[in-house]
Amino acid sequence: MDLANRKKELVEEFSPMIVKTSLWGKLWIGGLIAIILVGLYAFFVQIQKGHEITGMRDNVVWGIYIINFIFFVGISYSGAFISGILHFYETSWKNSISRIIEIMTVLSLVIGPIFILLCIGRLDRLHYLFLYPRIQSPITWDIIAIMTDLIGCFIYLLLTFIPDFAILRDSKELEIPSWRRKMYKFLAIGYKDTPTQSKRLHKIKNIMSAMIIALAIVAYTVLAWIFSLTLQPGWNSTIFATYFIIAGLYSGVSVIIISMYVIRRVYKLENYLKKIHFIGAGIVLLVISLLYGYFTFSEYFAKWFSHKTSDTNLLNTLFGRYFWEFILANYIGIIIPIIILFFKKLRTIKSITFAAIVAVLGMWLNRYIIVVPTLETPFLPIQDTRTEYLFYSATWVEFALSFAGIAAFFLFFTLLIKLVPIIPMSGIIEHERKVIKKTKNYTDGLE
Amino acid sequence: MDWNKNKNRFIISLIVILLFSLNSNSQEFDAEKYRMLYNFKTVKQADNTRLLEVSFNARNNEDTKDIIPVFGAEIKFYSSLEEKEMLLGSSKTTKEGIAKLILPGNQKYLTNKDGNITLNARFEGSDKLSEESEEIIFKNVHLELDLKEIEGIKTAIATVYTINNLGEKIPVETDISLYVNSMFAKMKIGEGSITDGEFEYHFEFPTDLPGDINDNLTAYLMIEDHEEFGNVIQKKTAKWGVFHQHKKEKKLTLWSQYAPIWMYVVLTILLVGVWANYVYTIINLFKIKNEPDAFETKNIIRNT
Repeated sequence: MDLANRKKELVEEFSPMIVKTSLWGKLWIGGLIAIILVGLYAFFVQIQKGHEITGMRDNVVWGIYIINFIFFVGISYSGAFISGILHFYETSWKNSISRIIEIMTVLSLVIGPIFILLCIGRLDRLHYLFLYPRIQSPITWDIIAIMTDLIGCFIYLLLTFIPDFAILRDSKELEIPSWRRKMYKFLAIGYKDTPTQSKRLHKIKNIMSAMIIALAIVAYTVLAWIFSLTLQPGWNSTIFATYFIIAGLYSGVSVIIISMYVIRRVYKLENYLKKIHFIGAGIVLLVISLLYGYFTFSEYFAKWFSHKTSDTNLLNTLFGRYFWEFILANYIGIIIPIIILFFKKLRTIKSITFAAIVAVLGMWLNRYIIVVPTLETPFLPIQDTRTEYLFYSATWVEFALSFAGIAAFFLFFTLLIKLVPIIPMSGIIEHERKVIKKTKNYTDGLE
Repeated sequence: MDWNKNKNRFIISLIVILLFSLNSNSQEFDAEKYRMLYNFKTVKQADNTRLLEVSFNARNNEDTKDIIPVFGAEIKFYSSLEEKEMLLGSSKTTKEGIAKLILPGNQKYLTNKDGNITLNARFEGSDKLSEESEEIIFKNVHLELDLKEIEGIKTAIATVYTINNLGEKIPVETDISLYVNSMFAKMKIGEGSITDGEFEYHFEFPTDLPGDINDNLTAYLMIEDHEEFGNVIQKKTAKWGVFHQHKKEKKLTLWSQYAPIWMYVVLTILLVGVWANYVYTIINLFKIKNEPDAFETKNIIRNT
């Protein structure tokens, strides 16, 4: 294989994706920026007027900000988990999805914690968390875990990008501005794909892969502990950490499927993102949805069977005021994906993507009913408070900032795949090298 | 036709049921069916005040479980001696049928030559209820309780006596009981009798009883339903409880200023482990960056 030629071919194939932006692409980016600007205005209003303009009050102190935080961080941890595992698998198809997962992992972990900052009433005291940390507090553990994980994910993302940055740096034919070429040169850190460099890079990628798997489990466990280590009915559960990890994987795999579908359609990548990828991801989603359903059932069944007053009150709230949310999150959001993914005949690209969308929406609602109805049903009855403080409903500010977060996720995703091809070129070359090596060994063996 | 028949039956049944239920709801109190339960008791309390209490109820003759308290009946309490009567006070029965009057410790009573006091609780009757009255005869007895450690043994000392006309203390014969305060009621921890001209009785006090948060334990000495003295109570508190000692054993390390040592150790191991790997990765990235370009010039690029 003529390596230089093959690299040139790949750069030519993917260059439209990273060089040109269609009119629709520009409109898409413009739309996302507009949503983010509205969000920034909402943030300005929130800073100016305080949390009074949100739906959060003395009793229900958490709203959709924390739900978005859990949701995004869950996607990130599941992405890190899956990405780490995929690294150790010698399969041809992993190359097509690995970068989607890596980008999703890092971006979710950047966007998610921003929502926590939006929850904080006194942002001017944020630095106290670092100046006077209480090691006994799960909140401190979570801050440490998120920061450590974020840095680890950034390093891992850089490691996977380096060979492609080097290819793009060396592609003289690529029509890109000089600042961009300089950026590729800087980020490629002098990588020339020599055997020593390749071996060294592979070694540290192996270490980082194992590291981010462990970090993902630890960090999401710590996040679950923020809830389950309290005595709050609905949160105080021994299976909460495992439940969170499974739920995170459920939403993470679903977002991967949706991203695969959109990228395939937009960039015409049918040759790389094939039906087999969707089927594979769909089966993984099926297994996780069964596990997730099992954990959800166990969680609520134990509450119902115990007949503890506090648990009964919570279930009354869930099956009363939040009846439809509960049904959509824990019945429709689990059963529909299971039905679609269980039957072989139903497993088409579109139906699998539809199942993933249902799962993602169900998952977000599940987070909602874990947080809001629980806070509305505390251990002791709420007394002597204003009626409007008893129940939570999100305001336009919270919705604007939530959509701004989602828009920021899409915008950064779009910009990142403009920076480097969504299908790793280095991965394609690596795979082809292995195939040629195997064939050569086979031919040598015959001779 | 069948439907019409059923409809008529249904309506008639409904009317009958309604009539019966209305009848049962509008049932009025019929005094003849009830027997009045009138009970008067007195207790000399720990602060030397005297509680006079009347319980006034009506019990159904046919259904003995049907007991209705008499509400708002005025009870007058008298101290009496032969033909003389002295009104001590009056009180109306509550919704529970209880009328109470507390007399101060220095209350004067009509007393006969033997020192006997006669108290009378009287309900003077109304349109529907007849007059009720009950009297109690007792002697004023003095009950004292002291809690002391005698030769290392925690001891409750009970002293009982009466005072004659000359102001002298006269020993009495009586049964006494020692109680401690518990969560829902008083718990008996000892019984004894004072006889043969003795003034005192010593109880050995248990050493394993829980007190309140400050280790305080309240002991009650009682003469109960004595035919001569009635009910008399005395109480005293001492730091003889042991509850606080158990509480001290608990350490809420998560609430303390510093976390438990193991938490620092685990966190340090985890963070050092992870960050050491990051540092190792970054060092390797620098090694990749600083690798000589000789490889490139000699074209030692892997070429399969």
